Amino acid sequence: MKELYLLIAFVAAGLLGYKLINEVPSLLHTPLMSGMNALSGITVVGALVTTAVSLTTGSKVVGFVAIVLAMINVVAGFLVTHRMLKMFRSEGGRS
Amino acid sequence: MLILQLLFIAGFIYGIRLMSSPKTAVKGNLLGALAMFGAVVVTLVSEGILTMPLLWAGLLVGSALGAWLAQKIMMIQMPQMVALLNGLGGGASALVALMVVYQDPTLTTFTWFTTGLAIVVGGVTLSGSLVAAGKLHGKLNQRPQHFRFHNLYLWGSGIVLLASLGALSFELGSVLVNSVLLLVVSLAFGVIFTIRVGGADMPITISLLNSLSGVAGSVAGFPLGNTLLVVVGAIVGASGLILTQIMCRAMNRSLWQILLGKTTVITKTPPQMVEISTPKVHGWEQSLRDAQKVAIIPGYGMALAQAQLQVKQLAEALQSQGKEVKFGIHPVAGRMPGHMNVLLAEVDVSYDQLYDLDQINEFLITADLAIIVGANDVVNPAAIELEGTPIYGMPIIRADQANQVIVCNYDTKPGYAGVDNTLYTMGKVSLLLGDAKDSLEKMLGVLAGKADTAPTEADEGLPAQLLSEAKRVVIVPGYGMALAQAQGQVKRLIELLQKRGVQVQIAVHPVAGRMPGHMNVLLAEVDVPYELMYEMDQINDEFADVDVVVVVGANDVINPAANTHEGTPIYGMPILHVDLARHVIVYNLDRSPGYAGVPNTLYDAPHCIFVAGDAASTLQSLVQSLSFAA
Repeated sequence: MKELYLLIAFVAAGLLGYKLINEVPSLLHTPLMSGMNALSGITVVGALVTTAVSLTTGSKVVGFVAIVLAMINVVAGFLVTHRMLKMFRSEGGRS
Repeated sequence: MLILQLLFIAGFIYGIRLMSSPKTAVKGNLLGALAMFGAVVVTLVSEGILTMPLLWAGLLVGSALGAWLAQKIMMIQMPQMVALLNGLGGGASALVALMVVYQDPTLTTFTWFTTGLAIVVGGVTLSGSLVAAGKLHGKLNQRPQHFRFHNLYLWGSGIVLLASLGALSFELGSVLVNSVLLLVVSLAFGVIFTIRVGGADMPITISLLNSLSGVAGSVAGFPLGNTLLVVVGAIVGASGLILTQIMCRAMNRSLWQILLGKTTVITKTPPQMVEISTPKVHGWEQSLRDAQKVAIIPGYGMALAQAQLQVKQLAEALQSQGKEVKFGIHPVAGRMPGHMNVLLAEVDVSYDQLYDLDQINEFLITADLAIIVGANDVVNPAAIELEGTPIYGMPIIRADQANQVIVCNYDTKPGYAGVDNTLYTMGKVSLLLGDAKDSLEKMLGVLAGKADTAPTEADEGLPAQLLSEAKRVVIVPGYGMALAQAQGQVKRLIELLQKRGVQVQIAVHPVAGRMPGHMNVLLAEVDVPYELMYEMDQINDEFADVDVVVVVGANDVINPAANTHEGTPIYGMPILHVDLARHVIVYNLDRSPGYAGVPNTLYDAPHCIFVAGDAASTLQSLVQSLSFAA
């Protein structure tokens, strides 16, 4: 049951994302990509949960690395996107 | 819990919606960051794991590294940054899935399958992205690299992945073996498939990897039963997919062509184009410009003429145009063992470009051009053909095997062995006699596009004059602008024109540069307002009303051959119709074809002025003469 629900969520999110992102102008495609980098860091949530229940040292290390990698994505992704978006200014002055 | 998750998902979605306008995009990004922060905190609280030091250590180390990276990165390095982050995201998801394999005893076939899939997609994304980032950063060769049996490796590893994914799903064999196999082979697969993608196809590759990094996270969410992961990952996957589609359309490529490595820079001009270029004199200049694989063979004459520096400059000029250059050193070239090596080392030619007899002969079989600088007996085919001559049987460098040969020797007298060089009389050989220094400089001039600029040199003041009379000007930036770092000059040009009341617009082709939106970011960095930037479809119908188009480092995306020359690689690719404008001024480094390998027919149009050279300096002088005129 849970599996079916997740599958539906997957398809629905994919379609919704498709529609949403089609509306992003090509002007902003690079910040869009780096923003998506940040969002793919959502996997940090999975990394936290699995690392918390890990028992062996080996899987603790793997979990730690996973958290670090995902968190680099989150923080660097959002910051870089912010840096870029702030550069886009309107003729009237800073946006 | 579910309510909160839905709230965060709504936050992400609304954040992306705000990204659809530059006015609200900053807020959208902040909202996304806030939702992410919330998701992490709520996960920690609801799972009761708020107080585990290991988790906090990971979060802090990752955040610190991420913040440092985001600070340090320069705007020009953004493509490799995005590629790197794609990889890290994929890697993290693969590791999460790997932990699930060893921890969750309640997996069903479906969840085993999704776990395995997350390892595969994550692994491919990680290694593929690192290769892409390496290429973009110049650490790896930008040109497509082909292994022997490349397709065999690709398909072989693909089949292994499918087999072990099946075995894992149906719990056949050892879980350890299967999961490790999945990880290792998927890492290899990522390398095999990205290594043969060329620099110009990077926009497509990056977009695809962007999509995969999301898919990896989404699929990893299935065994964890985590809606957040599944939904957000799927959105990222869809986003990357859209960008991939847009890039493919804009480059007239199918995704399959890229994945199967049919992206190679065209080394030989396609037959249709030959007809067009035949009316022109097909002299050594043409061979020099067209060659992709070049062997340079120095001899004692180079030492006599003291032409090492020019040889090195020639090699650099060729390489800067993406050509492959190898030096062939004959063991007896010069006056002592290793003579040529020393002379070249003196002018800083790195030794890994120097190849010995056997290696260079292998290269010469497929080389487009051999350039001989002051070598004679060591390249004389008589050593093979003419029995009874003193040099018969001596191993030589087979320059005669190359498609074209340019000889920069002082004269055609025989070398020390006294045997006439049969190479000199071959049809494909061009002789540039006289001081090697002069000949090499002539070649350098051709590469810099000077040989062709004779008519435009007379028109030096013309661009400024045309621009000062124009009412409406469109600027078309391309990757060459990024390479020359000429954004500042472009900005100055815009300001000067606007001050004179000229209407200025910037036309941005979707694949100009190395990633989606590349030109927009570069221009935004120098404070060019985004209202001036127009997408291809918005402006393409208006070029007929434009007085002057200024092209800065763009080539394939404005090449009319895409409409007219059936059979060329770019035929059918949507281009900016700058040729419809009254005047076109092109500021490119040289006239050599772009990555597609198709000569730009625009350059020969009567209303086109071509200004060769580094765009930063050529534009600078334009700006100066314009402001002087004002």
